[in-house]
Amino acid sequence: MIAQVIGGKLDYTVMLFYFVAVLGFGLYFGRYTTSTKDFFFGGQRFSWWLISFSCVATVVGSYSFIKYSTVGFKYGICSTQSYLNDWFWMPILVLVWIPIIYYMKIQSIPEYLEARFDKKTRIAATFIILLYIIGYIGINLITLGRTLHTLLGWQVMTGAIVTAVAVALYVYIGGQTAVIMTDLVQGIILLIAGLGLFAAAVYHFGGFGNFWALLPQEHKFAFSDFNAPPNFSFIGIYVQDGLANTGALMLMHQGFIMRFLSLKSVKDSRRMVVCWILVLAPLAAIATSCGGWIARAIVNNGEMSIEASDSFVKAANFLCSPGVFGFVLAALTAALMSTADTLINAVSAIFVNDIWRPYIKPGSSDKHYLKVARITSLCAAGLGLALVPVFMRDTIYGAHSMFTAAVTPPVLTAIFLGMIWKRYTPAAAFVTIVGGAVLIGMSFIWSDLLVGPFDFGMGPDSYKFMRALFGLLAAGTLGVSVTLFTKPEPEAKLKGLVAGTQIDAMRKFKGGRPNLRPGAKVRLQTKIDQSLADKNIVIVPQSALDKMAAEPGDLLYASHVRWWYGGLRSVHVKAGPPADSDQHELMLISPQDAATAHFTQGQQVVVEKIM
Amino acid sequence: MLRVWPIVCQFGVGAILCLIGIWGGLRGKYLNLKTREDRRLLVILIAGFLLMLAVACIFTFLAPNWANGESI
Repeated sequence: MIAQVIGGKLDYTVMLFYFVAVLGFGLYFGRYTTSTKDFFFGGQRFSWWLISFSCVATVVGSYSFIKYSTVGFKYGICSTQSYLNDWFWMPILVLVWIPIIYYMKIQSIPEYLEARFDKKTRIAATFIILLYIIGYIGINLITLGRTLHTLLGWQVMTGAIVTAVAVALYVYIGGQTAVIMTDLVQGIILLIAGLGLFAAAVYHFGGFGNFWALLPQEHKFAFSDFNAPPNFSFIGIYVQDGLANTGALMLMHQGFIMRFLSLKSVKDSRRMVVCWILVLAPLAAIATSCGGWIARAIVNNGEMSIEASDSFVKAANFLCSPGVFGFVLAALTAALMSTADTLINAVSAIFVNDIWRPYIKPGSSDKHYLKVARITSLCAAGLGLALVPVFMRDTIYGAHSMFTAAVTPPVLTAIFLGMIWKRYTPAAAFVTIVGGAVLIGMSFIWSDLLVGPFDFGMGPDSYKFMRALFGLLAAGTLGVSVTLFTKPEPEAKLKGLVAGTQIDAMRKFKGGRPNLRPGAKVRLQTKIDQSLADKNIVIVPQSALDKMAAEPGDLLYASHVRWWYGGLRSVHVKAGPPADSDQHELMLISPQDAATAHFTQGQQVVVEKIM
Repeated sequence: MLRVWPIVCQFGVGAILCLIGIWGGLRGKYLNLKTREDRRLLVILIAGFLLMLAVACIFTFLAPNWANGESI
């Protein structure tokens, strides 16, 4: 890590301005948060593109620029492999997992585990998931602390505290809506900064061909060698990241679950995932890794000497003019804030939904739970800070990999088997989680005995990656074995909770038969009708119902005509009986629904059928 | 072969994961191939898989041999 402070006053002014602007932006959206549904799920009203950008901003943590640039400098373009192994989870995500959690109105993973299995499985998973998320917060905070140490000369802990306070503040006030909206901005900025840096490098070297020629040949492969080197082999990265970490992000990461539940409909999840994984994730892979490739090319061109761990910051400083470098630093800050805010909000959701509401103070008002959620957000940031000294002993890549490989496999395996296998029993799920965690714990003591057989000849240096494979196999074996000797749950209990019963979940969500006939959107004008107060229905003309292929009782979604609001001003309602003919082009709406959607009298809105 | 095994492993295990997801959708007819929208989703899933495979192959068998600017 370089010791001296780099960058100029203009850079730090730009960075500070950005920091304050994002903070203000997040705080502004506090006005959209009046209930726990808003605080945790943003009112379930956002468009796919908004969630795509916020997902990519969350995936790209502050550690990403440093971590992937470091390995990009050492090993070349195979640093992107972590971002290119997500697609394989896409069918499970959009065809099984999102329909189940969305339609069954599952608010947290432990809640799913209780519905699918039993209470003790829920409790075991709650502690592991909280450990996973709080650990993640710690890793993010330490990275930014280290970066600010490099840039400003601050103590690592000081940088971590400043950032944690800022993020906790806007999550405290704005909840999920603030998280999504700030992540949109931060996602765009970090992509522009990273890709802009890559474009500047290509220009600097006189074209892509010259840049490519400056990289050593062994740096030009999509994957690292199958089982070498031990701390960056393909198989190590694949089992730790492609299976354990990506699986955990998709299926057990509360932050992502809350993001999926913020979508206006399950159908939007399809577009969201395609945009996120197929378009934005590869761009993010280039944006976060290119600092290392560029630094390597600069070194090979004889222009300056660079250490691997400083490759991103030094390459950016070398290529960017004053002010622009500040923008790149702002992107680095953006990456941290956009991940930490999601995690803090997620801890709050699990604490309220899985500990406070069921065990400590059940039956209280939503206002009470909202207050607890906000206080928990502050505490989560504090706990993350407390973990910073723990992770300071390892490299960022090592700490992150070791942590995810050790914590995620048991819960991930239980969710995966529970979701796709009807026969999988509650006793098996409990043993998978608890027994898997115990075996992984033992693997830290008897590493050679337990992880050694799965190291593909790489030795102890690979254990922090290969522990994920051991964990998945151990937890899976326990789960399958116990299932075969225990009695399965009755089919009726599993409706809506396992693959093959998604239509049952849809029926439950709507409270009746889902209407899946394809229809079009209609444009109407709002008329606030006091007689509809507290009814959550709208009255629209028969012609509009026909165009939407909707019937009375169907679930509709009304949003502001400006698409770029992304659903910020919108509401879900049910179709009431069709209006009289003199109410042509009008949508009668209750005052409460109009207030929720921030609609005014005479507002032009777009209405579509959800189901 | 050391360069080929990563492709075999990632896309082999990946294909199994994809098939599990598609099976989970088809079972219970949540993924209804009689509707155009669902057929399109299936095409996108397969196209995405093949696109990733193509990129991996290009940056394993072709790109490393692009020695300098003239050959690109």
